[in-house]
Amino acid sequence: MTGFLGLAGFQWLLLLAALQAVLLMADAFIGHYRSGFSLRAQYAPFVSGVLLLLSAVAVSIAPGRAALTTAAVATGALALLAGLVGAGYHHWYGITTKPGGYRWLLHHLLHHAPPLAPFALSVAGALVVLGARGGSGADQLLGAPIRLLVLGVVTVALLGLAGQSALLHYRGAFNQPAMYIPVIVLPLAAGSIVWHLAAPSATAARGIAAALLWATFLGGFVGAGMHLRGMDRQMGGLAMGVAAVIDAPPPGAPLLVAVLGASGLVALHLL
Amino acid sequence: MNSAAPLHPILVHFSVALTAASVLFDFASLLLGGASLADAGWWTLALSAVMTVGTVATGVRSRLRLPMAEGPARSYLRTHMALGPIFLGFLLAATVWRATFWEQAIRVPATYLAAMGGLLLLMTVQGWLGGELVYRFGAEVRGRYRSLPVEYPEPEAERPPVNEVPGS
Repeated sequence: MTGFLGLAGFQWLLLLAALQAVLLMADAFIGHYRSGFSLRAQYAPFVSGVLLLLSAVAVSIAPGRAALTTAAVATGALALLAGLVGAGYHHWYGITTKPGGYRWLLHHLLHHAPPLAPFALSVAGALVVLGARGGSGADQLLGAPIRLLVLGVVTVALLGLAGQSALLHYRGAFNQPAMYIPVIVLPLAAGSIVWHLAAPSATAARGIAAALLWATFLGGFVGAGMHLRGMDRQMGGLAMGVAAVIDAPPPGAPLLVAVLGASGLVALHLL
Repeated sequence: MNSAAPLHPILVHFSVALTAASVLFDFASLLLGGASLADAGWWTLALSAVMTVGTVATGVRSRLRLPMAEGPARSYLRTHMALGPIFLGFLLAATVWRATFWEQAIRVPATYLAAMGGLLLLMTVQGWLGGELVYRFGAEVRGRYRSLPVEYPEPEAERPPVNEVPGS
C-alpha cells in the first residue's frame, strides 16, 4: 500500500466517497424537490448521506481509530441499505404504480424516478465500509481482498452509471455528440478493470485500465461543463435559479463519474 | 447579496497567473536547472488547482445573478460555462501528474510541458471568452465606462454645430 501527497490510499478513497455523498445529495435534492418530497422516505438519502459524509471525513483524518472505524462501517452499511431500499422505492413508485405499469416500461424509465440513481448511495456506502476497514489495517473483508472489492464496486458502479446515462441521454435524443462519452467510455473502463483483475500481472491490462479511468475522470468534467451549458439552455438560463435547474441535466451526475474514475485510479495505484 | 462585488473576475486572475507561472517556472527549471524553480512550478500549480475550484464556483454564482437575453452574448456565455469545468478537470489531472514528479524530486519531462501548452491554450480561449463577456457585452459591469477622449481629425471651425442637421 502506498501513499500520495502524504495521504494513504484508503484515506483518498474515503475522501472521494465523502465527495460522492455530497454530489449524490445535490442530485437527490433536485429530483426529490421536483416531486415535492411527497414521501417521507425521500429525506432518507440526506440523513444517510450526511452521516456518511461526516464519518468518512472523520475516519480519513484519523484512520485506524476503533470508534471512528466502527461508526464509518455502520454509516456505510446504512447507506448501502438506504440505496437498495431507495432503488425499490424508485421502481415501485416510478414504474409499478404508474399508469400502464410495465407495459409502458421505457416511458417510465425515461420520465419518472431514475431507476439506478439510488445505487449511487449504496456505492458510496460500500466504498466507505471498505475504506474504513482497509484504513484500520484489514487486508480482507468477507474472505476477499479489499483491493479486489473496491475495484469490483467501481466496476459495477461504472456500468450502472453508463446504464442510467444511456437512458437519460436517449431521452435527450443524444442531441450532442458528447452525450455518447459516458455510454462508450464507462463500459470500456469497467471492462478494462475486469481484464486487470483477471490478469493482474499483465502490464497492458493495468495500463489500459489506468488510461480508461483517466478518460472517465476527464469525461466527468467534460460532462459537468456540458450539463452546465444544458442548464443555461433552459429559458432564461441559470439566472432563473431553481426553475432553470429543476428540469435541466443533473449537475452532480457527471462529477460522480469523475469521482468514480478517481476512486478506480486510487484502487489501481495506491491500494 | 446582489450588491456584493462579483468574486469571479477577481479569482480568475489567480487561476490564470498561477497556471501560467507554473509552466514558466518549470520551463525555466528545465533550461537552467535549480530545484527551487521546480518547487515553485509545483506549488504554483497546486495553488492554482485550489483557486480554480473557487473560480468555477463563483462563476456559477455570477451567472445565477446575471439575467441575460438570448443573443450573441448568451452564446459566448454558454461556451464559457461549458469550458470552465473542462479546464478544471484537465488542471486537476495535470496537478496530479505534476505531483508525481514533485514527490520523486525529478525534473518535469518535455511531454508534460507540451501537455501544459495545450492547457494554456484552453485557458487562453476561456480567458478571451470571459474578457469578451465583460469588456464587450458588459456582463456584471455596473454603472458605465467613462468614454475615452476622441480627437477630431478636422479643425474645430469645420466641425458641424451640435444639434444642426447636416444639409439643412
